[in-house]
Amino acid sequence: MREPIVRYGGVMCLLALIGSAFIRAQEDPTTVTYQDLLNGFKNPSSWLTYSGDYSGQRHSPLKQITPENAHRLSAHWTFQTETTARGRGFESTPLVVDGVMYVTGPNGFAWALDARSGRPFWRYRRELPANLTYGASAPVNRGFGILADRLFLTTLDAHLVALDTKTGNVLWDIELADYKAGHSATMAPLVVKDKVIVGISGGDYPTRGFLDAYDPTNGKRIWRFYTVPGAGEPGSETWPASPELLARGGGATWVTGSYDPELNTLYWGTGNPNPDYYGEDRKGENLYTCSLIAIDADTGKLKWHYQFTPHDLHDWDSNHVPVLADLVIGGQRRKVVMVANRNGFFYVLDRVTGKVLLGKPFTDTTWARELGPDGHPIVLNDGSKGCLPDNWGGTVFMPPSFDPALGLFFVTARETCATFVPEKQVIAPGRFSLSGTVRRDLAKAYGALRAIDAATGERRWEFKFATPSFGGVLSTASGVVFDGDNEGNFMAFDARTGANLWHYQTGSPLWGGSPITYMLDGRQYVVVGSGSSIVAYALP
Amino acid sequence: MFTGWALATVLFVGGVRANNPSQGDPAAIQAGASLFRERCADCHGADAKGVSGPDLTRLWMSADSDQRVFQTIRSGVPGTIMPASTAPDQELRAIIAYLRNISTAAAEASPGSVANGERIFAASCATCHRVNGRGGRLGPDLSRIAATQSNQVLTRAIRDASASFTSGYEPITLVTRDGHQIRGTRKGEDAFSIQIMDARERLQGYLKETLRDVIRDNKSLMPDFTPDRLSDPDLNDLLAYLATLRISGPPRRPQETPADLR
Repeated sequence: MREPIVRYGGVMCLLALIGSAFIRAQEDPTTVTYQDLLNGFKNPSSWLTYSGDYSGQRHSPLKQITPENAHRLSAHWTFQTETTARGRGFESTPLVVDGVMYVTGPNGFAWALDARSGRPFWRYRRELPANLTYGASAPVNRGFGILADRLFLTTLDAHLVALDTKTGNVLWDIELADYKAGHSATMAPLVVKDKVIVGISGGDYPTRGFLDAYDPTNGKRIWRFYTVPGAGEPGSETWPASPELLARGGGATWVTGSYDPELNTLYWGTGNPNPDYYGEDRKGENLYTCSLIAIDADTGKLKWHYQFTPHDLHDWDSNHVPVLADLVIGGQRRKVVMVANRNGFFYVLDRVTGKVLLGKPFTDTTWARELGPDGHPIVLNDGSKGCLPDNWGGTVFMPPSFDPALGLFFVTARETCATFVPEKQVIAPGRFSLSGTVRRDLAKAYGALRAIDAATGERRWEFKFATPSFGGVLSTASGVVFDGDNEGNFMAFDARTGANLWHYQTGSPLWGGSPITYMLDGRQYVVVGSGSSIVAYALP
Repeated sequence: MFTGWALATVLFVGGVRANNPSQGDPAAIQAGASLFRERCADCHGADAKGVSGPDLTRLWMSADSDQRVFQTIRSGVPGTIMPASTAPDQELRAIIAYLRNISTAAAEASPGSVANGERIFAASCATCHRVNGRGGRLGPDLSRIAATQSNQVLTRAIRDASASFTSGYEPITLVTRDGHQIRGTRKGEDAFSIQIMDARERLQGYLKETLRDVIRDNKSLMPDFTPDRLSDPDLNDLLAYLATLRISGPPRRPQETPADLR
């Protein structure tokens, strides 16, 4: 028998718990609201969406780390994920809420980590089928979306899963598309108001891309926009009249877009038409592939589109983070959306109308050197003549950043030289359909972090890397730019001059992921993944 | 922390019974028993009724097949400490023959009222325990508890909550430098930091250099539901309700929108 006093203690404890549960419902620091998402970087201890805020600028207001002290940065903790994405990198952007870091990894893994120490609270692993399609060739993931106490995760077998932030337990799990046909899902969902916006991967298989919105409470689909129109729909005139072809035209949506709350518009990039390199059977411009689409967030209806690469033959997905800003162009203040594209051009569009304001190469691309008056590229080289940006392009999905005070757009550029050899192949569901090969001249290849004057498209500075790199960019209001290279260096640069301030050899390429930054206990952390690990850096 | 539900998920997805050539073979059962003690008992208990790992005497209650159990031992359970085994097939079959032999094949009689048990659960347990997406998260999720724990183990856990703690749910009290006390359950710890879920279900990490003390409580945050608080008939009803919690696959969708989802 226990002493009565002990039992009494137990009852008190239970009452205390019930009381605290009541308080929790009223003021929970761990609960993320839509208002928090709208606030973006206003709470410096958080990083709440793939890009940190809806603009896609990846420009933090934090100022503890400066050009003067950045050389004193050091690693504070490392989390070994013990899983790697074969042939790829750690492409995920962590979220940070109330001292907890939520991060996804390759192969269906995810973790909740102590943002102070890097130690795990929980881990999640999805049971994946053995016969994955696109998910097997790129077993990566780019991050969570979050709302309330729910995390949203896309999977390599093309599902959308909601996890409990406190436990990592599955709340619901729905299928986006049939993975056996070639689909996968790798992007970080974007929560907008009461919707989870989700894109799809698998455009290198004969699939049809789409952008979806789901109810965060139960995973019910609210709308779907197909990036390749159905027969008879607007845009179908840019394809041969074949419903079968339209049903597998590509146009995946595998990088998180941006959102303008005032215009209630989503800006999202679309991927290559399929098959990738062989275009004889899909003559026409192939809308809405390799485009930027502006979508009404409530209805999923198309407001406007701009196609960067008409009738693409090079796997130049336009799956980039569109960067929203207000710029003065030609003496006029404009709401713009900026894209540094896989085709080697930097674009500025009016984000209200979709009108092209600026389109200029930021690489040595020989594909085209200027846009015509109608906004179409004047194509000089279709790839058969050699020395075109390779299939990864002038830049790719690694996020750029934008410093509005300096008006500078920072992007990891890739200078490559490739010849494309198209080849007709048999198209079948679940079968890779690149339809051709790429020959690279590696001797001429290199990478660079470039600063582009957003209003003019002129290059202000660059810092060269030994090989074409895939580092995502982060910039801060103190004038520091962070980027990584293919040799494994994580680096800090002076935003004004491009001078290198600091570097740390991580031991594995920084590949597709982007750093984040947040304040915790009065200290500014910068966190980035490379290889199979995540490292947090800070001043001593 | 992960072992119970993960193994349950893998084991109770259902499937067709496959024949085990070692089934009922006394030599195999004996060999299996000794292999089990050597390799499995640390987590699953010498009586296979579960310690940190699940109760394995109930595997065949839900029409599970030898083949599935074989595959689970062979592949391990991702996200848990249950490792993959490289032992020869014959040894795995012997372990399965042993487990089958001690298996509680017939369902334990649970004549209690499920409806009353569910009411008791809602009133006394759901503050801290979650079932199918509803309830608290301070204690373990019980959505699949019947698939992994026997009535015997559950009775002990309810009547004497502090007798043992599930890994990841050890009660802990942190004392900050200003004397403030934070009670919760321990999710992780190293020499310099500790990760907890506090009584308000807040996940939070603390650097030990910022704490005055870390007290490892011997009293669970869960009260002991002794017979004066929970009568034997009520306990039986509660067990009858818990016995229904053995779903496989993803949990059912919540029926209503949480108030804070806005």
